Amino acid sequence: MTNPVIQVEGLRCSYGDFEAVRGVDFEVAQGELFGLLGTNGAGKTTTMEAVEGLRKATQGTVRVLGSDPLTDRGVVRPRIGIMLQDSGFPGDLTVAEMVAFWQATSSRASDAASAIEALDLAHRRDVRIKQLSGGERRRLDLLLATLGKPEVLFLDEPTTGLDPESRLRVWEVVRGLLAEGTTVVLTTHYLEEAESLAERIAIMHAGRIAVSGRVSDVLARQPARIGFDVPAGFDVGVLPMLRGDVVHEPSGRVEVRTGELQRDLGELLDWARGDGRVLTGLRANHASLEDVFHAVRADEKVMSR
Amino acid sequence: MILALSRTELTLLLRNKTAASLALAMPLLIGALLMVNGPSGWTFIIVLQLVMMLGFTVYMTVTTSLVSRRQDLYLKRLRTGEASDQVVVAGLLVPTVVLGLVQAVVLMGMSKIAGAPLPERPLLLALAVVGGTAMCCAVGVATSGITSTPELAQITTAPFFFALFGGAIWALVTDTVDYRVLLVPGGQVAELIKAAWGGPTDNVGMALAALVAWVAIGSGLAIRYFRWEPRS
Repeated sequence: MTNPVIQVEGLRCSYGDFEAVRGVDFEVAQGELFGLLGTNGAGKTTTMEAVEGLRKATQGTVRVLGSDPLTDRGVVRPRIGIMLQDSGFPGDLTVAEMVAFWQATSSRASDAASAIEALDLAHRRDVRIKQLSGGERRRLDLLLATLGKPEVLFLDEPTTGLDPESRLRVWEVVRGLLAEGTTVVLTTHYLEEAESLAERIAIMHAGRIAVSGRVSDVLARQPARIGFDVPAGFDVGVLPMLRGDVVHEPSGRVEVRTGELQRDLGELLDWARGDGRVLTGLRANHASLEDVFHAVRADEKVMSR
Repeated sequence: MILALSRTELTLLLRNKTAASLALAMPLLIGALLMVNGPSGWTFIIVLQLVMMLGFTVYMTVTTSLVSRRQDLYLKRLRTGEASDQVVVAGLLVPTVVLGLVQAVVLMGMSKIAGAPLPERPLLLALAVVGGTAMCCAVGVATSGITSTPELAQITTAPFFFALFGGAIWALVTDTVDYRVLLVPGGQVAELIKAAWGGPTDNVGMALAALVAWVAIGSGLAIRYFRWEPRS
């Protein structure tokens, strides 16, 4: 990668005896959105905190915009925005006061009114923060992190607990920043969020990156799925021409897991046409990130046996 | 940046009725009561007024407000901004310090109007107020680190608070040179104020040294115990 904005090499972080991050490497290019996924306790937040300069690494190096985010905090901070997974507000300030205060502590120029508008908080601007709903607080969180268009934006589970409409609003703001060249690092539980926003992802498990790459490549490494309702008198043995695994699920579905989606789908349709069958509930898809996730966890179980 | 932090912190202090009455009304009220009922001479009254200011307005307010900002996860947010850790803490302390100093001036003014003499050695008074404020800030930051909720601050602040008062009263009732008085926080402050109003100056050097030592100890404890996040 030429001139990566973020470089992480051999990162390790411990809390006392417990090593939460056990050797993580990744790079993020200028203007891309990099997704960090994983189960609870996988080490995502600890990794984020080390990259943001909020936590000292026990080993390894972190570079953000060419500097160490911890020791060169004064150089790095003015150029980045951070949205923590759990961060709070003094409840007695109003939305507008909080935004004005944050502006006053920031060296980036920003337009408070349009930022408040963009996150749909204009009607709440003079309301005390303690009276905001969870979703409104989360949007205010994002507003502060993105105020003045930072060059690099860190979002730690920005949409957890949001209703679908608020989530779309957040995605819209993030896409807008990406279009203007902001580099984004995002952690999320929501696989569809990563699929929809991220160019590249890394899936963390037990303190390490288990799988990483472009979203399409990561998905291509997992077998695709074909499914249909079990036809009358069906036996798994009648589909020997398929290269994938054919499973008769107890739910009354036939599931084919195949590395050759187009070929097997063609074969299946030929068989159905030849037999004069109608395949109800027919579906064919690439692997989802969920499949990748499950595969990562399944691997772990195999290894720990 | 530090100004913005302080202005916001002042707004928060004034909007919280409990904090505001602790920091503002309490010392002024008790200070005024002391003057009405004070049978023991002006030095006694002024020492108690200033120690009251240090205890309520500075020490308890610093502790309670830092704990409640931490509990709100507001300290954690401030750490994600551009301000350095030192600037954040300083910015949060400034309003309390200013309130304390303003109160010292108001209390002195009230006493003056009620007939108190002016201090013969105003420099010693200034050193007592400034040194006492620095000590109470430092120990307050440290106390916030061992206090998990704002409610518990009423308990965790008690030992230092009573040491402050006890030391001051001990210093007021002893005329002979007793070095142990100077070791207690409040003792040196009272000794300096006594000297400012014409009391003996033999102990001034020792009192100043003890005050500086308390500021240093408090700062050391503050660095050791201060926490940005609630314990999870």
